[in-house]
Amino acid sequence: MESNWLLRVRNLTRIYGESTPDVLERTGPRFNSNICPKTGAVVACGGISFDLFPGEVLGIVGESGSGKSTLVQMLYFDQEASWGEVNFRPVEDGNANILELSNQRKRYTRNHLMGMVYQNPRDGLNFRFSAGGNIAEKLLMAGVFHVGNIRVRGQDLLGKTEVPVKRMDESPARFSGGMQQRVQIAKAIANNPPLLLLDEITSGLDVSVQAKVLDLIRGLQQDLGISMIVVSHDLGVIRMLTDRTLVMKHGRIVEQGLTDQILQDPQNGYTQLLVSSLL
Amino acid sequence: MGKLLEIVDLHKRFELHILNEKAIEALDQVSLQMEEGEIIGLTGKTGSGKSTLMKCIYRTYLASGGSIFFTTAQGERIDFATASEHDVLRIRKTEMTYCSQFLQVIPRVPAIDVVASTVSSRDSSIDQGRELARGIFETLTLPAELWDAYPATFSGGEQQRVNIARAIIARPRLLLVDEPTASLDLKTKDAVIDLLLGLKKGGTSIILITHDAHTLERMANRTLHLEHGRLKEIICA
Repeated sequence: MESNWLLRVRNLTRIYGESTPDVLERTGPRFNSNICPKTGAVVACGGISFDLFPGEVLGIVGESGSGKSTLVQMLYFDQEASWGEVNFRPVEDGNANILELSNQRKRYTRNHLMGMVYQNPRDGLNFRFSAGGNIAEKLLMAGVFHVGNIRVRGQDLLGKTEVPVKRMDESPARFSGGMQQRVQIAKAIANNPPLLLLDEITSGLDVSVQAKVLDLIRGLQQDLGISMIVVSHDLGVIRMLTDRTLVMKHGRIVEQGLTDQILQDPQNGYTQLLVSSLL
Repeated sequence: MGKLLEIVDLHKRFELHILNEKAIEALDQVSLQMEEGEIIGLTGKTGSGKSTLMKCIYRTYLASGGSIFFTTAQGERIDFATASEHDVLRIRKTEMTYCSQFLQVIPRVPAIDVVASTVSSRDSSIDQGRELARGIFETLTLPAELWDAYPATFSGGEQQRVNIARAIIARPRLLLVDEPTASLDLKTKDAVIDLLLGLKKGGTSIILITHDAHTLERMANRTLHLEHGRLKEIICA
């Protein structure tokens, strides 16, 4: 049972500045800071460990600057980790630390086995390409070269994410924020990745559009059984999408548990503050 | 047969760090044993700890001390006070259902699918689930024009029946049900009781919180009474 994980993260750490392990001993919730008083190094993420199971949706919640985005960006190789171990079942049956793969194999892992949706559609989409072209880009990187197949798959994905297929040849720059986000989601799931990373995907959208994007994600999870890591500062999003939640502060996990337990019986003072701030 | 549930010396205390470390003692020295197929009634004044006990069993609340042993269908013994989250999720998915007083559902899902998705996530298709859900809604006399509507806008009694339907369709081994008949008229109340007794016949064990004497009398094999977080007396019915 305990070896059933899809993704296993151990001790994942990202430090800006002088990266020595003892920086971790001088920072964190106990010191109410992520800045080392001695060296001035900033701990973006410190000693993060967790398991993600197949089909599971894990929430990561915390205020701005708590390290949640850094965490998923390290998993997606957007940022380099200072140290730590990440095992991912589809890569060498989980026996390799994917942080130590060659750049080529990292690219393969990222393009074939993971999907990422960023808060800002401009980070995930190329606005010089059309909506369809963006999806094609992801498929091409994963080695699908048949133009007809790419076109059909693009139409299929845009249909699934409720982006008008008629507009697939337009640049996403002309789309509304909610539509851009849905194109980004279509792109992220283009290769049927077993792991989807979602970073604050509904921030900045108005409520009815938020609802549509969340319904889409929930539908995809139910239909495709993709494992997801959902990063959000919004406990409503976390409640709706996730089974389990990690709470982060000052770059550390301060509490983890079942999502209903985190929301109804938070143990940590910071989590209690977070839950009591819920509108 | 072995004990389905065995609670030993359960202690629950809420520590409110943001309110000057204020602490609230909710449960103390609670112990109970439950046989398979039993219906235990929980009574007690508002605030005596009934729902807290139920939520501790479901792990929505983390126990502060003591043990909550559950024996799975495969004979595995799991302590919900300390079990891993994945173990608890697995048991929730397959063997244990919590039916709260208040409907908590994902927004923008029609009532019929709220209920149907409960079984389709276990073992059958969504269409089979919908078929079953319709049958239960009929028994519970939930008006048909509501079946495709979103439960968030329903009245208290209507929401409650959606909640009950969800628990019925899940056919869990252990059902935790909080005030299932509170906002219902006598006829609907009896329909709910009949459905729950039907579940019991199918092998479900039930822990039932109720203030309603009629519900208690018709359902419970025995009743436990909570007072200030302690189990005070055991009345054999």
